[in-house]
Amino acid sequence: MSKIIAVHSYKGGTGKTSISVNLAATFVRQGKKVALFDLDFRAPSLFAILQCEKEGKTWLNDYLDYKCEINQVLVDISPRIPNAGKFYAGPADPSTESMRYMTTRNSNWEMHALKRLMTLKKSLIKEQNFDYIIFDTSPGLQFSSMNAIAAADFIVVTTTGDCSDVNGTKRMLNDFYDVMFENKTGLVLNKVIDPAKYGTEELAQKVKEEYKVPLLCVIPCFCEVTQAKGQYLFPQDKPNHQFTNILTKMATSIENM
Amino acid sequence: MKNKWLGVMLSKEDIVMGKKPLAVLEQIKESLDSLKEKLDVLIDVQKAGCRGTVPSDTPTMDVMTLLNMPDHLRKTAITICRNGRATAEQVAEQTNRARAVESSYLNQLVTMGYVKKQRKGRKAYFYVAME
Repeated sequence: MSKIIAVHSYKGGTGKTSISVNLAATFVRQGKKVALFDLDFRAPSLFAILQCEKEGKTWLNDYLDYKCEINQVLVDISPRIPNAGKFYAGPADPSTESMRYMTTRNSNWEMHALKRLMTLKKSLIKEQNFDYIIFDTSPGLQFSSMNAIAAADFIVVTTTGDCSDVNGTKRMLNDFYDVMFENKTGLVLNKVIDPAKYGTEELAQKVKEEYKVPLLCVIPCFCEVTQAKGQYLFPQDKPNHQFTNILTKMATSIENM
Repeated sequence: MKNKWLGVMLSKEDIVMGKKPLAVLEQIKESLDSLKEKLDVLIDVQKAGCRGTVPSDTPTMDVMTLLNMPDHLRKTAITICRNGRATAEQVAEQTNRARAVESSYLNQLVTMGYVKKQRKGRKAYFYVAME
């Protein structure tokens, strides 16, 4: 069973953060203990979306930098989903100095960062009984995202119909996900306009042929998902929304992989 | 009267009676493995065309370096990264490859400077070289 999930894409704006947050919330609703981390150090967003700006000011950046332990980074946001599992967020430092600092790290620093991310499997999953760790990454080939992918067991690749994205996603899938790290991978087709005009089976077959990975789900273009950022968590606040249903199925597929 | 051979004390009786304790055979196997590892390193050094055994600058085994490694070495290198510290046998269990194969790949990574090796008794532990 996959425990550490990295949500990644070739281009920006494919819905990584919305999917990460709501997938995490789906697992929490099912009674799971989940930690969601923001690995987009160049454009952090989790702190704003989950309104978990911290008082203590220790961020995921500090953990990677050996300045604190992981529990000092985690913010308990379980009250957002009452009577369910446990929900923790590990936001990235949104300050400009920090973003600048992160862009100037050398490969030695990144090697240590990879080690720190890999240690989470022991510290959170084995010792603190977390069911899932979810990494929301930054798009494309970047150190922080590659580190997350190398540390993960399963990669959710999100893509839209945009031709530049399709092309890059294919290259990424062929060049490094499966081949390089032998990770399990699943594809999410997001922001699909009028998905009803394609048959589900037909689409799954097409994805398998084109990308050579299984199709996890097709998400139609929902304006309310794009606009929801921060206002609500779909599994909790909109339990009957189609997006919630799709996420539930996706969570089951990941659990069974 | 006792003879010392390959670091194992044997009694005359053991040899005359043809009794070669299992420990002796294991010791021989270990010694041969150790020699093979040393030869592998020498061969790699020859192939790389350099005279020193280990490059003076410790290269970093970051994720981009992993991406650029040949597939067979990457698998070994990532396993070491995940474990922090492991023997060739432990790596082999996780990669489903033979111990001797992993031993050879690990020693190549040592030669390249990405991995360090530490002998503890009869076991050799490999770990990522970090500053």
